[in-house]
Amino acid sequence: MVCLGTSTGSHIVILAGFTLLRLLLLANSRIKNHFRLKQQTRIYPARRLRTYPGDVKMFGYIWQHLFTSFLRFLFKWFLRHFTGKCELQRICSGYKQGAARTSRAEHSLESSKSKVLRAAVSVQEEHVEECAIAIMKEKKVTSQKDPVFKMSLQVCLSQICGYKGLYACVEDMRKQPFDCENNDHENRLLRLWDLLMPSVKLDSRLTKQWGDIGFQGDDPKTDFRGMGMLGLTNLVFFSEKYTDVARQVLSHSVHPKLGYSYAIVGINLTEMAYSLLRSGALKPHFYNTVSQSPKLEHFHQLYCYFAYEFDKFWIEAKPESIMEFNRYREMFHEKMKGLLEDPDVSLCLTLDSKQ
Amino acid sequence: MGLLTILKKMKHKEREMRLLMLGLDNAGKTTILKKFNGEDVSTISPTLGFNIKTLEHRGFKLNIWDVGGQKSLRSYWRNYFESTDGLVWVVDSADRLRLEDCRQELSSLLLEERLAGATLLVFANKQDLPGALSKDGIREALALDSIKTHHWCIIGCSAVTGENLLPGVDWLLDDIGARIFTAD
Repeated sequence: MVCLGTSTGSHIVILAGFTLLRLLLLANSRIKNHFRLKQQTRIYPARRLRTYPGDVKMFGYIWQHLFTSFLRFLFKWFLRHFTGKCELQRICSGYKQGAARTSRAEHSLESSKSKVLRAAVSVQEEHVEECAIAIMKEKKVTSQKDPVFKMSLQVCLSQICGYKGLYACVEDMRKQPFDCENNDHENRLLRLWDLLMPSVKLDSRLTKQWGDIGFQGDDPKTDFRGMGMLGLTNLVFFSEKYTDVARQVLSHSVHPKLGYSYAIVGINLTEMAYSLLRSGALKPHFYNTVSQSPKLEHFHQLYCYFAYEFDKFWIEAKPESIMEFNRYREMFHEKMKGLLEDPDVSLCLTLDSKQ
Repeated sequence: MGLLTILKKMKHKEREMRLLMLGLDNAGKTTILKKFNGEDVSTISPTLGFNIKTLEHRGFKLNIWDVGGQKSLRSYWRNYFESTDGLVWVVDSADRLRLEDCRQELSSLLLEERLAGATLLVFANKQDLPGALSKDGIREALALDSIKTHHWCIIGCSAVTGENLLPGVDWLLDDIGARIFTAD
Protein backbone atom coordinates (compact mmCIF):
# COMPACT_ATOMS: atom_id res chain seq x y z
CA MET A 1 0.00 0.00 0.00
CA VAL A 2 1.10 3.51 -0.69
CA CYS A 3 1.65 5.24 2.56
CA LEU A 4 0.72 8.88 2.22
CA GLY A 5 3.11 11.63 3.24
CA THR A 6 5.77 9.64 5.07
CA SER A 7 8.79 10.29 2.95
CA THR A 8 9.91 12.13 -0.18
CA GLY A 9 10.26 8.77 -1.92
CA SER A 10 6.62 7.92 -1.59
CA HIS A 11 5.71 11.42 -2.77
CA ILE A 12 7.59 10.82 -5.98
CA VAL A 13 5.85 7.49 -6.43
CA ILE A 14 2.48 9.17 -5.93
CA LEU A 15 3.25 11.95 -8.37
CA ALA A 16 4.51 9.52 -11.00
CA GLY A 17 1.43 7.38 -10.57
CA PHE A 18 -0.78 10.41 -10.75
CA THR A 19 0.79 11.63 -13.98
CA LEU A 20 0.46 8.20 -15.54
CA LEU A 21 -3.18 7.91 -14.61
CA ARG A 22 -3.89 11.41 -15.80
CA LEU A 23 -2.38 10.52 -19.15
CA LEU A 24 -4.55 7.39 -19.32
CA LEU A 25 -7.63 9.43 -18.58
CA LEU A 26 -6.75 11.93 -21.27
CA ALA A 27 -6.11 9.14 -23.76
CA ASN A 28 -9.47 7.64 -22.89
CA SER A 29 -11.39 10.84 -23.55
CA ARG A 30 -9.46 11.30 -26.82
CA ILE A 31 -10.43 7.81 -27.95
CA LYS A 32 -14.06 8.35 -26.96
CA ASN A 33 -14.21 11.64 -28.83
CA HIS A 34 -12.57 10.08 -31.84
CA PHE A 35 -15.28 7.47 -32.15
CA ARG A 36 -18.07 9.86 -31.35
CA LEU A 37 -17.01 12.30 -34.03
CA LYS A 38 -16.65 9.61 -36.65
CA GLN A 39 -20.10 8.28 -35.94
CA GLN A 40 -21.54 11.68 -36.58
CA THR A 41 -20.00 12.02 -40.01
CA ARG A 42 -23.04 11.32 -42.06
CA ILE A 43 -23.57 11.92 -45.71
CA TYR A 44 -26.96 13.38 -46.33
CA PRO A 45 -29.33 12.17 -47.78
CA ALA A 46 -27.88 8.71 -48.20
CA ARG A 47 -27.15 8.67 -44.45
CA ARG A 48 -24.37 6.18 -44.88
CA LEU A 49 -22.07 5.66 -41.97
CA ARG A 50 -18.41 5.60 -42.85
CA THR A 51 -16.91 2.24 -42.09
CA TYR A 52 -13.61 1.73 -40.37
CA PRO A 53 -11.31 -1.27 -40.15
CA GLY A 54 -12.54 -3.77 -37.60
CA ASP A 55 -9.30 -3.95 -35.66
CA VAL A 56 -9.36 -0.22 -34.86
CA LYS A 57 -12.90 -0.60 -33.53
CA MET A 58 -11.85 -3.72 -31.64
CA PHE A 59 -9.03 -1.83 -29.99
CA GLY A 60 -11.55 0.81 -28.95
CA TYR A 61 -13.83 -1.76 -27.34
CA ILE A 62 -11.02 -3.48 -25.47
CA TRP A 63 -9.75 -0.15 -24.23
CA GLN A 64 -13.23 0.87 -23.15
CA HIS A 65 -13.71 -2.34 -21.24
CA LEU A 66 -10.32 -2.12 -19.59
CA PHE A 67 -10.92 1.48 -18.65
CA THR A 68 -14.41 1.13 -17.19
CA SER A 69 -13.71 -2.10 -15.34
CA PHE A 70 -10.30 -1.37 -13.91
CA LEU A 71 -8.45 1.83 -14.68
CA ARG A 72 -11.30 4.16 -13.82
CA PHE A 73 -11.54 2.80 -10.29
CA LEU A 74 -7.81 2.87 -9.84
CA PHE A 75 -7.76 6.49 -10.93
CA LYS A 76 -10.65 7.38 -8.62
CA TRP A 77 -9.06 5.59 -5.69
CA PHE A 78 -5.88 7.51 -6.31
CA LEU A 79 -7.56 10.89 -6.54
CA ARG A 80 -9.68 10.17 -3.50
CA HIS A 81 -6.55 9.69 -1.41
CA PHE A 82 -4.70 12.51 -3.05
CA THR A 83 -7.38 15.19 -2.76
CA GLY A 84 -9.30 13.82 0.19
CA LYS A 85 -12.58 14.22 -1.75
CA CYS A 86 -14.78 11.66 -3.46
CA GLU A 87 -15.58 11.95 -7.15
CA LEU A 88 -19.02 13.50 -6.56
CA GLN A 89 -17.48 16.18 -4.35
CA ARG A 90 -14.88 16.98 -6.96
CA ILE A 91 -17.62 17.26 -9.60
CA CYS A 92 -19.83 19.48 -7.44
CA SER A 93 -17.00 21.83 -6.54
CA GLY A 94 -15.21 21.77 -9.88
CA TYR A 95 -18.04 22.48 -12.32
CA LYS A 96 -20.70 25.15 -12.44
CA GLN A 97 -24.33 24.19 -11.91
CA GLY A 98 -26.03 22.88 -15.06
CA ALA A 99 -25.28 20.20 -17.61
CA ALA A 100 -21.52 20.39 -16.97
CA ARG A 101 -22.04 19.31 -13.37
CA THR A 102 -25.21 17.21 -13.52
CA SER A 103 -24.21 15.10 -16.54
CA ARG A 104 -20.91 14.24 -14.86
CA ALA A 105 -22.62 13.46 -11.57
CA GLU A 106 -25.11 11.24 -13.42
CA HIS A 107 -22.32 9.33 -15.12
CA SER A 108 -20.46 9.00 -11.85
CA LEU A 109 -23.52 7.64 -10.04
CA GLU A 110 -24.42 5.24 -12.84
CA SER A 111 -20.97 3.72 -13.01
CA SER A 112 -20.44 3.54 -9.26
CA LYS A 113 -19.68 0.25 -7.52
CA SER A 114 -21.96 1.18 -4.64
CA LYS A 115 -25.61 0.11 -4.78
CA VAL A 116 -26.74 3.24 -2.93
CA LEU A 117 -25.18 5.48 -5.56
CA ARG A 118 -26.41 3.48 -8.53
CA ALA A 119 -29.97 3.52 -7.16
CA ALA A 120 -29.80 7.30 -6.69
CA VAL A 121 -30.39 8.04 -10.39
CA SER A 122 -33.90 6.61 -10.20
CA VAL A 123 -34.95 8.06 -6.85
CA GLN A 124 -38.42 9.60 -6.48
CA GLU A 125 -38.57 13.38 -6.35
CA GLU A 126 -39.82 13.49 -2.76
CA HIS A 127 -36.94 11.31 -1.54
CA VAL A 128 -34.14 13.39 -3.01
CA GLU A 129 -33.01 14.80 0.31
CA GLU A 130 -32.92 11.41 2.05
CA CYS A 131 -31.02 10.04 -0.88
CA ALA A 132 -28.44 12.84 -0.68
CA ILE A 133 -27.96 12.10 3.01
CA ALA A 134 -27.56 8.39 2.28
CA ILE A 135 -24.93 9.14 -0.36
CA MET A 136 -23.02 11.38 2.05
CA LYS A 137 -23.09 8.64 4.64
CA GLU A 138 -21.92 6.05 2.12
CA LYS A 139 -19.10 8.32 0.97
CA LYS A 140 -18.31 9.53 4.49
CA VAL A 141 -18.79 13.18 3.62
CA THR A 142 -19.79 15.45 6.50
CA SER A 143 -21.56 18.80 6.21
CA GLN A 144 -18.84 20.39 8.33
CA LYS A 145 -16.12 19.49 5.86
CA ASP A 146 -18.05 20.36 2.71
CA PRO A 147 -21.03 22.58 3.59
CA VAL A 148 -22.29 23.24 0.04
CA PHE A 149 -22.02 19.64 -1.16
CA LYS A 150 -25.42 18.52 0.05
CA MET A 151 -27.28 21.32 -1.70
CA SER A 152 -25.36 20.84 -4.97
CA LEU A 153 -25.94 17.11 -4.88
CA GLN A 154 -29.64 17.61 -4.26
CA VAL A 155 -29.96 19.86 -7.31
CA CYS A 156 -28.17 17.27 -9.42
CA LEU A 157 -30.41 14.48 -8.13
CA SER A 158 -33.59 16.52 -8.68
CA GLN A 159 -32.54 17.22 -12.25
CA ILE A 160 -31.55 13.61 -12.97
CA CYS A 161 -34.69 12.02 -11.56
CA GLY A 162 -36.82 14.93 -12.82
CA TYR A 163 -35.81 14.14 -16.38
CA LYS A 164 -36.96 10.55 -15.91
CA GLY A 165 -40.20 11.74 -14.35
CA LEU A 166 -40.76 14.15 -17.22
CA TYR A 167 -40.31 11.37 -19.74
CA ALA A 168 -42.91 9.28 -17.88
CA CYS A 169 -45.42 12.19 -17.91
CA VAL A 170 -44.83 12.91 -21.59
CA GLU A 171 -45.21 9.24 -22.42
CA ASP A 172 -48.51 9.07 -20.51
CA MET A 173 -49.87 12.05 -22.40
CA ARG A 174 -48.69 10.69 -25.74
CA LYS A 175 -50.39 7.35 -25.09
CA GLN A 176 -53.70 9.06 -24.43
CA PRO A 177 -55.50 9.15 -27.79
CA PHE A 178 -57.69 12.08 -28.77
CA ASP A 179 -61.24 11.11 -27.85
CA CYS A 180 -64.29 12.92 -29.31
CA GLU A 181 -66.41 11.72 -26.38
CA ASN A 182 -64.16 13.48 -23.92
CA ASN A 183 -65.34 17.06 -23.38
CA ASP A 184 -61.95 18.23 -22.22
CA HIS A 185 -60.30 16.97 -25.42
CA GLU A 186 -63.00 18.52 -27.58
CA ASN A 187 -62.78 21.86 -25.79
CA ARG A 188 -59.04 21.99 -26.20
CA LEU A 189 -59.38 21.36 -29.92
CA LEU A 190 -61.98 24.12 -30.29
CA ARG A 191 -59.79 26.41 -28.18
CA LEU A 192 -56.94 25.85 -30.63
CA TRP A 193 -59.18 27.07 -33.43
CA ASP A 194 -60.35 30.15 -31.49
CA LEU A 195 -56.79 31.10 -30.55
CA LEU A 196 -55.48 30.82 -34.10
CA MET A 197 -58.52 32.09 -35.99
CA PRO A 198 -60.20 34.60 -33.66
CA SER A 199 -62.22 36.27 -36.42
CA VAL A 200 -63.57 33.11 -38.06
CA LYS A 201 -66.20 30.83 -36.56
CA LEU A 202 -66.27 27.11 -37.28
CA ASP A 203 -69.32 26.17 -39.38
CA SER A 204 -69.57 22.83 -37.60
CA ARG A 205 -67.42 20.33 -35.77
CA LEU A 206 -66.75 18.41 -38.99
CA THR A 207 -65.70 20.89 -41.62
CA LYS A 208 -63.17 21.56 -44.34
CA GLN A 209 -62.17 24.67 -42.38
CA TRP A 210 -59.80 22.57 -40.25
CA GLY A 211 -57.59 22.58 -43.30
CA ASP A 212 -57.03 26.33 -42.78
CA ILE A 213 -54.93 25.62 -39.69
CA GLY A 214 -53.21 22.68 -41.32
CA PHE A 215 -55.16 19.57 -40.43
CA GLN A 216 -55.61 16.97 -43.17
CA GLY A 217 -59.35 16.49 -43.44
CA ASP A 218 -62.76 17.34 -41.99
CA ASP A 219 -61.95 15.91 -38.57
CA PRO A 220 -58.62 16.52 -36.84
CA LYS A 221 -59.11 13.52 -34.55
CA THR A 222 -57.32 11.15 -36.95
CA ASP A 223 -54.30 13.43 -37.32
CA PHE A 224 -52.83 13.09 -33.83
CA ARG A 225 -51.83 9.46 -34.44
CA GLY A 226 -49.00 8.20 -32.24
CA MET A 227 -48.59 11.59 -30.54
CA GLY A 228 -52.12 11.56 -29.07
CA MET A 229 -52.97 14.35 -26.65
CA LEU A 230 -49.32 15.39 -26.47
CA GLY A 231 -49.58 16.71 -30.03
CA LEU A 232 -52.73 18.71 -29.31
CA THR A 233 -51.48 20.04 -25.97
CA ASN A 234 -48.30 21.33 -27.57
CA LEU A 235 -50.27 23.08 -30.32
CA VAL A 236 -52.61 24.70 -27.78
CA PHE A 237 -49.75 25.69 -25.45
CA PHE A 238 -47.90 27.48 -28.26
CA SER A 239 -51.02 29.39 -29.31
CA GLU A 240 -51.84 30.27 -25.72
CA LYS A 241 -48.42 31.43 -24.51
CA TYR A 242 -47.20 32.99 -27.71
CA THR A 243 -50.44 33.87 -29.46
CA ASP A 244 -48.92 36.49 -31.77
CA VAL A 245 -45.98 34.32 -32.71
CA ALA A 246 -48.25 31.34 -33.38
CA ARG A 247 -50.48 33.45 -35.64
CA GLN A 248 -47.44 34.79 -37.44
CA VAL A 249 -46.15 31.23 -38.01
CA LEU A 250 -49.63 30.22 -39.18
CA SER A 251 -49.64 33.10 -41.67
CA HIS A 252 -46.33 31.83 -43.11
CA SER A 253 -47.80 28.36 -43.41
CA VAL A 254 -50.49 29.53 -45.83
CA HIS A 255 -47.96 31.10 -48.19
CA PRO A 256 -48.87 30.06 -51.77
CA LYS A 257 -45.38 28.76 -52.57
CA LEU A 258 -43.65 28.09 -49.25
CA GLY A 259 -46.78 26.99 -47.41
CA TYR A 260 -47.01 23.89 -45.23
CA SER A 261 -49.67 22.24 -43.08
CA TYR A 262 -49.37 24.11 -39.78
CA ALA A 263 -50.96 21.53 -37.48
CA ILE A 264 -49.44 18.48 -39.18
CA VAL A 265 -45.98 20.03 -39.04
CA GLY A 266 -46.64 20.77 -35.37
CA ILE A 267 -47.45 17.12 -34.71
CA ASN A 268 -44.28 16.10 -36.56
CA LEU A 269 -42.26 18.50 -34.40
CA THR A 270 -43.86 17.03 -31.28
CA GLU A 271 -42.60 13.67 -32.45
CA MET A 272 -39.13 15.15 -32.89
CA ALA A 273 -39.11 16.66 -29.40
CA TYR A 274 -40.44 13.40 -27.97
CA SER A 275 -37.80 11.25 -29.64
CA LEU A 276 -35.04 13.61 -28.46
CA LEU A 277 -36.42 13.39 -24.93
CA ARG A 278 -36.58 9.61 -25.12
CA SER A 279 -33.01 9.24 -26.36
CA GLY A 280 -31.74 11.45 -23.53
CA ALA A 281 -30.49 14.08 -25.98
CA LEU A 282 -32.47 16.81 -24.19
CA LYS A 283 -30.68 16.26 -20.89
CA PRO A 284 -28.14 19.09 -21.30
CA HIS A 285 -30.91 21.49 -22.29
CA PHE A 286 -33.04 20.75 -19.22
CA TYR A 287 -30.04 20.56 -16.87
CA ASN A 288 -29.03 24.04 -18.00
CA THR A 289 -32.42 25.71 -18.06
CA VAL A 290 -34.32 24.18 -15.13
CA SER A 291 -32.58 24.19 -11.76
CA GLN A 292 -35.08 21.78 -10.20
CA SER A 293 -36.84 18.85 -11.80
CA PRO A 294 -38.25 19.72 -15.24
CA LYS A 295 -42.03 19.61 -15.65
CA LEU A 296 -44.42 19.16 -18.59
CA GLU A 297 -44.54 22.90 -19.06
CA HIS A 298 -40.82 22.92 -19.82
CA PHE A 299 -41.36 20.31 -22.49
CA HIS A 300 -44.14 22.42 -24.05
CA GLN A 301 -41.77 25.41 -23.95
CA LEU A 302 -39.23 23.43 -25.90
CA TYR A 303 -41.92 22.59 -28.46
CA CYS A 304 -42.58 26.33 -28.86
CA TYR A 305 -38.90 26.82 -29.63
CA PHE A 306 -39.05 24.05 -32.25
CA ALA A 307 -42.23 25.42 -33.85
CA TYR A 308 -40.80 28.93 -34.12
CA GLU A 309 -37.34 27.86 -35.26
CA PHE A 310 -38.60 25.33 -37.80
CA ASP A 311 -40.76 27.98 -39.44
CA LYS A 312 -37.72 30.26 -39.78
CA PHE A 313 -35.62 27.37 -41.06
CA TRP A 314 -38.21 26.40 -43.67
CA ILE A 315 -38.82 29.92 -44.94
CA GLU A 316 -35.09 30.62 -45.22
CA ALA A 317 -34.43 27.32 -47.00
CA LYS A 318 -37.15 28.01 -49.62
CA PRO A 319 -37.94 24.37 -50.44
CA GLU A 320 -39.32 23.54 -53.87
CA SER A 321 -42.58 22.13 -52.54
CA ILE A 322 -44.19 20.57 -49.52
CA MET A 323 -43.07 17.17 -50.83
CA GLU A 324 -39.58 18.09 -49.62
CA PHE A 325 -40.82 18.25 -46.04
CA ASN A 326 -39.22 15.06 -44.73
CA ARG A 327 -35.81 16.04 -46.07
CA TYR A 328 -35.94 19.43 -44.36
CA ARG A 329 -37.37 17.93 -41.21
CA GLU A 330 -34.34 15.61 -41.06
CA MET A 331 -32.00 18.53 -41.67
CA PHE A 332 -33.65 20.47 -38.88
CA HIS A 333 -33.45 17.42 -36.63
CA GLU A 334 -29.70 17.13 -37.29
CA LYS A 335 -29.31 20.82 -36.59
CA MET A 336 -31.05 20.46 -33.22
CA LYS A 337 -28.96 17.41 -32.36
CA GLY A 338 -25.88 19.44 -33.20
CA LEU A 339 -26.96 22.23 -30.85
CA LEU A 340 -27.63 19.70 -28.10
CA GLU A 341 -24.04 18.44 -28.33
CA ASP A 342 -22.91 21.70 -26.76
CA PRO A 343 -22.78 21.33 -22.96
CA ASP A 344 -23.94 24.94 -22.54
CA VAL A 345 -26.99 24.49 -24.76
CA SER A 346 -30.24 26.20 -23.88
CA LEU A 347 -33.00 26.06 -26.47
CA CYS A 348 -35.23 28.93 -25.47
CA LEU A 349 -37.52 30.88 -27.70
CA THR A 350 -36.11 34.34 -28.17
CA LEU A 351 -38.12 36.59 -30.43
CA ASP A 352 -36.56 38.71 -33.15
CA SER A 353 -37.02 42.40 -32.55
CA LYS A 354 -38.97 42.87 -35.78
CA GLN A 355 -42.15 41.02 -34.99
CA MET B 1 -38.16 -6.46 -79.03
CA GLY B 2 -34.34 -6.62 -78.88
CA LEU B 3 -33.93 -3.55 -76.70
CA LEU B 4 -36.72 -4.62 -74.39
CA THR B 5 -35.09 -8.01 -73.85
CA ILE B 6 -31.78 -6.35 -72.98
CA LEU B 7 -33.52 -3.99 -70.59
CA LYS B 8 -35.32 -6.86 -68.96
CA LYS B 9 -32.06 -8.75 -68.60
CA MET B 10 -30.41 -5.74 -67.02
CA LYS B 11 -33.22 -5.46 -64.58
CA HIS B 12 -33.00 -9.17 -63.89
CA LYS B 13 -29.42 -8.75 -62.74
CA GLU B 14 -30.36 -6.22 -60.12
CA ARG B 15 -33.68 -7.83 -59.26
CA GLU B 16 -34.86 -4.46 -58.13
CA MET B 17 -38.49 -3.49 -57.77
CA ARG B 18 -40.17 -0.17 -57.27
CA LEU B 19 -43.34 -0.20 -55.23
CA LEU B 20 -45.57 2.81 -54.81
CA MET B 21 -47.83 2.94 -51.77
CA LEU B 22 -50.84 5.25 -51.99
CA GLY B 23 -54.21 5.72 -50.32
CA LEU B 24 -56.23 8.33 -48.45
CA ASP B 25 -54.78 9.98 -45.38
CA ASN B 26 -54.93 7.89 -42.20
CA ALA B 27 -55.13 4.65 -44.23
CA GLY B 28 -51.98 3.31 -42.54
CA LYS B 29 -49.36 3.50 -45.31
CA THR B 30 -46.47 4.60 -43.10
CA THR B 31 -47.43 2.09 -40.43
CA ILE B 32 -47.38 -0.71 -43.01
CA LEU B 33 -43.98 0.41 -44.27
CA LYS B 34 -42.50 0.65 -40.79
CA LYS B 35 -44.02 -2.61 -39.59
CA PHE B 36 -42.74 -4.40 -42.68
CA ASN B 37 -39.31 -2.98 -41.95
CA GLY B 38 -39.48 -4.08 -38.31
CA GLU B 39 -39.62 -0.59 -36.84
CA ASP B 40 -41.63 0.77 -33.92
CA VAL B 41 -45.11 1.79 -35.10
CA SER B 42 -46.43 3.40 -31.93
CA THR B 43 -44.99 6.89 -32.43
CA ILE B 44 -45.96 7.71 -36.00
CA SER B 45 -47.04 11.20 -37.07
CA PRO B 46 -48.87 12.13 -40.30
CA THR B 47 -46.74 12.03 -43.46
CA LEU B 48 -46.16 15.34 -45.12
CA GLY B 49 -44.34 14.64 -48.38
CA PHE B 50 -43.08 11.09 -48.70
CA ASN B 51 -40.96 8.38 -47.12
CA ILE B 52 -38.75 6.03 -49.05
CA LYS B 53 -37.28 2.80 -47.78
CA THR B 54 -35.05 0.36 -49.55
CA LEU B 55 -35.15 -3.12 -48.14
CA GLU B 56 -34.21 -6.64 -49.08
CA HIS B 57 -36.89 -9.30 -49.21
CA ARG B 58 -36.57 -12.77 -50.76
CA GLY B 59 -33.49 -11.68 -52.67
CA PHE B 60 -35.21 -8.66 -54.20
CA LYS B 61 -34.22 -5.14 -53.54
CA LEU B 62 -37.46 -3.28 -52.88
CA ASN B 63 -37.69 0.47 -53.20
CA ILE B 64 -40.90 1.35 -51.41
CA TRP B 65 -42.30 4.84 -51.79
CA ASP B 66 -44.86 5.92 -49.24
CA VAL B 67 -46.49 9.19 -50.28
CA GLY B 68 -48.73 11.26 -48.00
CA GLY B 69 -52.44 10.88 -48.67
CA GLN B 70 -53.99 14.16 -47.60
CA LYS B 71 -56.04 15.88 -50.28
CA SER B 72 -53.59 18.71 -50.93
CA LEU B 73 -50.79 16.19 -51.59
CA ARG B 74 -52.69 14.00 -54.06
CA SER B 75 -51.83 16.26 -56.99
CA TYR B 76 -48.17 15.36 -56.36
CA TRP B 77 -48.79 11.61 -56.60
CA ARG B 78 -48.16 11.67 -60.35
CA ASN B 79 -44.52 12.68 -59.72
CA TYR B 80 -43.92 9.20 -58.34
CA PHE B 81 -45.59 7.09 -61.07
CA GLU B 82 -42.53 6.60 -63.31
CA SER B 83 -41.28 2.99 -63.60
CA THR B 84 -43.51 1.70 -60.83
CA ASP B 85 -43.67 -2.11 -60.82
CA GLY B 86 -46.27 -2.50 -58.13
CA LEU B 87 -48.95 -0.23 -56.73
CA VAL B 88 -50.03 -0.85 -53.15
CA TRP B 89 -53.38 0.77 -52.45
CA VAL B 90 -54.07 1.01 -48.72
CA VAL B 91 -57.63 1.33 -47.41
CA ASP B 92 -58.79 2.15 -43.90
CA SER B 93 -61.48 -0.56 -43.64
CA ALA B 94 -63.08 1.16 -40.65
CA ASP B 95 -63.57 4.50 -42.42
CA ARG B 96 -66.86 3.68 -44.17
CA LEU B 97 -67.72 7.32 -44.81
CA ARG B 98 -64.83 7.84 -47.18
CA LEU B 99 -65.03 4.58 -49.15
CA GLU B 100 -66.61 6.36 -52.10
CA ASP B 101 -63.81 8.92 -52.09
CA CYS B 102 -61.38 6.03 -51.89
CA ARG B 103 -62.99 4.25 -54.88
CA GLN B 104 -62.83 7.38 -57.01
CA GLU B 105 -59.17 8.04 -56.25
CA LEU B 106 -58.25 4.46 -57.08
CA SER B 107 -60.18 4.36 -60.33
CA SER B 108 -58.60 7.59 -61.55
CA LEU B 109 -55.15 6.20 -60.68
CA LEU B 110 -55.79 3.11 -62.76
CA LEU B 111 -56.41 5.29 -65.81
CA GLU B 112 -52.87 6.66 -65.56
CA GLU B 113 -50.77 5.59 -68.52
CA ARG B 114 -47.57 5.43 -66.51
CA LEU B 115 -49.11 2.94 -64.11
CA ALA B 116 -50.49 0.78 -66.91
CA GLY B 117 -48.00 -2.06 -66.40
CA ALA B 118 -48.10 -2.09 -62.62
CA THR B 119 -49.56 -4.88 -60.50
CA LEU B 120 -52.15 -3.71 -57.96
CA LEU B 121 -52.26 -4.94 -54.39
CA VAL B 122 -55.10 -3.63 -52.24
CA PHE B 123 -54.53 -3.81 -48.50
CA ALA B 124 -57.84 -3.74 -46.60
CA ASN B 125 -56.08 -2.43 -43.51
CA LYS B 126 -57.20 -2.10 -39.88
CA GLN B 127 -58.97 -5.47 -39.81
CA ASP B 128 -58.19 -5.50 -36.06
CA LEU B 129 -60.65 -2.63 -35.43
CA PRO B 130 -64.15 -3.66 -34.33
CA GLY B 131 -66.01 -1.60 -36.95
CA ALA B 132 -63.86 -2.69 -39.88
CA LEU B 133 -65.50 -3.79 -43.13
CA SER B 134 -64.38 -7.23 -44.29
CA LYS B 135 -62.07 -7.82 -47.22
CA ASP B 136 -65.05 -8.76 -49.40
CA GLY B 137 -66.93 -5.66 -48.31
CA ILE B 138 -64.04 -3.50 -49.45
CA ARG B 139 -63.75 -5.46 -52.67
CA GLU B 140 -67.34 -4.60 -53.45
CA ALA B 141 -67.16 -0.98 -52.28
CA LEU B 142 -64.15 -0.29 -54.47
CA ALA B 143 -65.66 -2.25 -57.40
CA LEU B 144 -62.44 -4.19 -57.78
CA ASP B 145 -64.07 -6.90 -59.91
CA SER B 146 -64.52 -4.41 -62.71
CA ILE B 147 -60.76 -3.89 -63.03
CA LYS B 148 -59.60 -5.53 -66.25
CA THR B 149 -56.51 -3.46 -66.94
CA HIS B 150 -54.28 -4.61 -64.08
CA HIS B 151 -53.42 -7.79 -62.23
CA TRP B 152 -54.89 -7.24 -58.79
CA CYS B 153 -55.45 -8.88 -55.45
CA ILE B 154 -57.05 -7.78 -52.18
CA ILE B 155 -55.75 -8.83 -48.79
CA GLY B 156 -57.26 -8.04 -45.40
CA CYS B 157 -54.51 -7.02 -43.00
CA SER B 158 -53.60 -5.14 -39.87
CA ALA B 159 -50.51 -2.97 -39.96
CA VAL B 160 -50.50 -2.63 -36.17
CA THR B 161 -50.37 -6.38 -35.53
CA GLY B 162 -48.53 -7.11 -38.77
CA GLU B 163 -51.10 -9.72 -39.73
CA ASN B 164 -51.12 -10.67 -43.44
CA LEU B 165 -48.58 -8.03 -44.50
CA LEU B 166 -46.10 -10.66 -45.61
CA PRO B 167 -48.56 -12.75 -47.69
CA GLY B 168 -49.63 -9.53 -49.43
CA VAL B 169 -46.14 -8.44 -50.34
CA ASP B 170 -45.24 -12.00 -51.36
CA TRP B 171 -48.16 -12.15 -53.76
CA LEU B 172 -47.09 -8.81 -55.22
CA LEU B 173 -43.50 -9.96 -55.70
CA ASP B 174 -44.61 -13.22 -57.33
CA ASP B 175 -46.84 -11.40 -59.75
CA ILE B 176 -44.26 -8.77 -60.67
CA GLY B 177 -41.51 -11.38 -60.82
CA ALA B 178 -43.50 -13.55 -63.19
CA ARG B 179 -44.00 -10.53 -65.43
CA ILE B 180 -40.55 -8.96 -65.60
CA PHE B 181 -37.97 -11.55 -64.65
CA THR B 182 -39.06 -14.54 -66.70
CA ALA B 183 -38.33 -13.05 -70.13
CA ASP B 184 -35.18 -15.12 -70.46
